[in-house]
Formats: sequence, C-alpha cells, structure tokens
Amino acid sequence: MRGSLGKRLVIWGLVWVSLVTLSLPTLIVIGASFTAGEIIRFPPEGFSLRWYGELWQLDSFRAALARTFQVSLICTAVSLPVGTLAAIATVRYRIRFRNAVQVYLLLPFTIPLVVSGLSMMILFGEIRILGQLWPVGVALCIINLPFMIWSVAASVNAIDPEIENAAMNCGAPPLQTFLTVTLPAVMPGVITGGLLMFILAFNEFLVSLFLTDSRTVTLPVQIYNSIRSVITPDLAAVSVLYIAIALIAVVLLDRLVGLEIFLRSK
Amino acid sequence: MKYPLSWRLLDGLEAAAAVLWPARLRRLTAWGLLAPALVLVGVLVIGLGYMLEYSLHELDLATYRLTEAYSLTNYQTILDRPVYARVLGRTLLGAVLVTAIAVALAFPYAYALVRTRSAALRKALLVALFLPFFIGQVVRAYGWLIVLGREGLVNSALAGMGLPTVDLLFTYPAVIFGLVQYMLPFAILLLVPALAAIPEDMELASESLGARWISTFRHVVIPMAKPGLIGASVVVFTLTLTDFAMPEILGGGTSDFIASAIYDSFFQISNPGLGAALSMVLVTLGSLIVAGVFLVAGTGTLGVRGAK
Repeated sequence: MRGSLGKRLVIWGLVWVSLVTLSLPTLIVIGASFTAGEIIRFPPEGFSLRWYGELWQLDSFRAALARTFQVSLICTAVSLPVGTLAAIATVRYRIRFRNAVQVYLLLPFTIPLVVSGLSMMILFGEIRILGQLWPVGVALCIINLPFMIWSVAASVNAIDPEIENAAMNCGAPPLQTFLTVTLPAVMPGVITGGLLMFILAFNEFLVSLFLTDSRTVTLPVQIYNSIRSVITPDLAAVSVLYIAIALIAVVLLDRLVGLEIFLRSK
Repeated sequence: MKYPLSWRLLDGLEAAAAVLWPARLRRLTAWGLLAPALVLVGVLVIGLGYMLEYSLHELDLATYRLTEAYSLTNYQTILDRPVYARVLGRTLLGAVLVTAIAVALAFPYAYALVRTRSAALRKALLVALFLPFFIGQVVRAYGWLIVLGREGLVNSALAGMGLPTVDLLFTYPAVIFGLVQYMLPFAILLLVPALAAIPEDMELASESLGARWISTFRHVVIPMAKPGLIGASVVVFTLTLTDFAMPEILGGGTSDFIASAIYDSFFQISNPGLGAALSMVLVTLGSLIVAGVFLVAGTGTLGVRGAK
C-alpha cells in the first residue's frame, strides 16, 4: 500500500484490531483443548491429549459426528445440480418475470433463519417426516441455496456467451454444448458453491435445533446444548475438529479456485 | 469407421435428451432448469403459509391448543405487552451498533486486502478472513466464553496484574462484540468487490491535486465504494436483526433478541400462535427496512445482473 506514514499506521492498526478479533477465539480454543485439568482456566494446567481421547470414547459424539456428515452430504448432493441449473437459467436465459423469480429464489436468504426453521418444523410435522435425518439435509439445502446460486452465477456471468454459440456453430448439439463447454466453464463457481454448502451445513445449528430430536441430534446442536450446562474441555476438543475442517476447506478452496477469486471487482 | 465409446455415449444421451425434451419445448428450457430450485424454495413458502395461519389463531388456555376462529389477538398481545417493545428496541439498537462497528472495521481490512503489494500478506489476510468464516457461530461463541468467562483469559490477565476481575460475560456488550466478530467476514467479503473496482489512479489523482489521504478517503474512496457499503450494511444489519445464537450464548438470557422471544413463545410458554405472530412481525420489519434502504440508496453490490 502506498501513502503517508499516518495513513499506513491507521489502516494497518485497524487491520490488526480485526485480525485479533477474528483469530482470538480460534487460537484460544486450540490452546484450551490441550489442557490436562478438569476445567478450563488460564494459564492451562499442563499439556495432554486426554480430552481428545475421552471425546473419541463418547458414543454420542461419534454418532452425532456421523449424522452431521450425512446431513451435510445430502445438502451438498441436492444443492449441486439444483443450484447450478438455477444459476445458469437465471443468468443465461431470457425468462419472463425475471425479477419475481430472483426475489423468490432469494427468499431463503431474506427470511430469518429462526422463522424458516420453525416454518419447516411445522410443515414437516404436518406431513409426518419430522424426526428423520434426510429432511434435515434437504432443509439445510433450502436455506443455503442462494449461496450456491450466487457462486455459480458469478462464474456464469464471467463466461463469454460467444463460446457456447461457437460450439453450436461447430455442430455440437445442446446437451454436448452444455456438458463440454458450459459446465467446465462454470466449474470454479460449482466447486466454491459445493464447498460452501458442505461447510454451512456442517456448521448449521439453528434450523437443525428445530428439526432434530435426541435421536437425530447433529454436532452443532449438541455443542449448543452442552454449552448451556457446564463448559468442559471436551467441547474445546470438538471445536478443534471444526477448526481443522474449516482449515481443510480454506486450503481446498485456495488450491481449487484460488482465494483471490473473491478479490475480483464488480 | 469406429468411433470412441465416449462419442457413442454422448450421442445416446443426446438422443435420449431429444426424446425427453423435444425441440418444441425449447422455449421452456429455462423453466425446466429452474423447476427443482422453485420446488425446493416452495417447501419453505408452504411452511411460511402455515406460520401465517398459526399467527391468526389465539391459544385456548383451557386445552392449550390454537382455537379454530380467526383473530388478530396475537398481534394485539405483541402491541400490549411492553416486554416485546423492549426486546424489539434492544434488537434494533444491537443491529445498528453491530452494523456500524463491523463495517467500520471491515473497510480498512478490505482496503488493505485490495491495495497491498505483497502477495504473501494478501494470502495471510485472506486465510485469517476465511478461517473464522467457515467456523460456525456456536463454536465461535464457545471461544468467546473461554476468553470472557469468569476464569477466562481476560480475567486471568487482570488478576495477574493485580486488578479486580470483571463480569464480562452475559452482558449486552458481550453480545454486540460476539456479533461484530461473527459479521466481520461477511462485511469484508461484500466490501472487497466494490473497493477492487476503484482504480488506484483515482487516489493518485486526488493526492497529486494536493488532497491529504483523509480527504481522499472522504471525497473519493468512500463515495466510490458506496455500492459495497450498502451491500455490506444491509446484509450485516439483517443477519444481526434475526440472530439467535450470540444473544442466547453470550447474553445468557439477559439480552434476548427477537429470535429468542420467538423461540420462547414456541418452546417455553408453548404458544405457537404468539410465536408465529412475532415471526411475521420480524419478517415484515426486516423486509421493510431492506426495501427502504434499497429505495433510498439503490441495491448496491447485491443487485443481480442477468442476460440483456
């Protein structure tokens, strides 16, 4: 960054405030998870991996982890085709009532999560599918669908429509054009969207709180319920699992599409 | 002549597609592509219909079920009880504070991200931004419990310096702080595209005409970043307005937001009608505020471009 010393001091000073705010809880949780003591306090009492061991012994934890994976995979699997096709349709085709369609597809984002969650709880209760796991995955797909559509739409916007015309001109039938030209071109958006959907579902808590019961509880809901009773270090160990998964997602995103893609101007 | 298998496969698929979706349906292709998404969002819309229906029925205290007759009693109850006005005021104030602080912190971060010359520094800033973005609210709130708790980091540091400890947790400022941390990545990511669109020459021109950097920011950078500022503010404001986890966990019941009041109506006092009415108030309030901002200031970076 160019500019006077004063400007750099102010900007970087504020950036440091943000950096500390953003990173402090993560770093603290990692530190706390290695304590040897019974409770979390500072400075931690000794270093051990005992809380990771105790966590792995816990059947309820392993079951909740498996369910969370299942729900996130359902959410991602449903949203990949649905979101990709919807994004291509809204950007590439002339459709009547375009604005109405866009407002409608944004509803999951504009309706507050607490309202969406309770609405679907009522609906799923009426059609008697509450208490099963797959509706949770579908519900998470619904509430996060705008993120999938956004990611793909950004990629669709970036491709030149002439390349599709060129493919058709060279005799490629519609499906072949779609599979060999359009789809590869929007892949960065599809990958970003898919990763985002998985991570959002893996972390989602409020809608899951309404749609799960003690037999189908997912990990974020279980953490929330435990936080409200006693704060034990095994929760820190679970949190480190979340941090590790977030780290993997960041590295994957960087390798596959590059984090710099988010710095493009609009 | 022998064609590769993949060609024959593709031709087969093409023929199947031509049968399933003949050319005369071509005009409807867009709707065909949209159909699955429209159906999925439809599930939510039907659920909202139920919610509206619930809100129009009063709770019968004899049977603890909603009465058959339609009435606006639940909405009247919300107006009559001062507790809901207080919760609403607290939520709105919180949303304004969090938006102001988060956008003020996000702006220099996004600016540094766009303007820094060092690729390594840019990568570091991006990772520090995305890592918390990918960690859910519950885990992050848990981190703050450890930092702000009675035996937490801050109090241990205070005690170590011989100072009296303070109760930081379960206060309104703790909730605001937690929410700012949660919203910061959203704000930065929505500001970045707008800042990236400002050519650096613009700032150079301003400075070569004698403007100090603060004047350049006030008269050039901030006005040009307006679409991003609107987008970031609207998203942060609405997400804060409807948040549940941070006020619950870091407020510990002392600083409930509207979402908590809705939750309590359903699960604590078992009055789904009242909860549904509160939900409708929240949806309406949020939509009105967003529509108001869009009318006055435009949709900013949130507008979606489409085919011309």
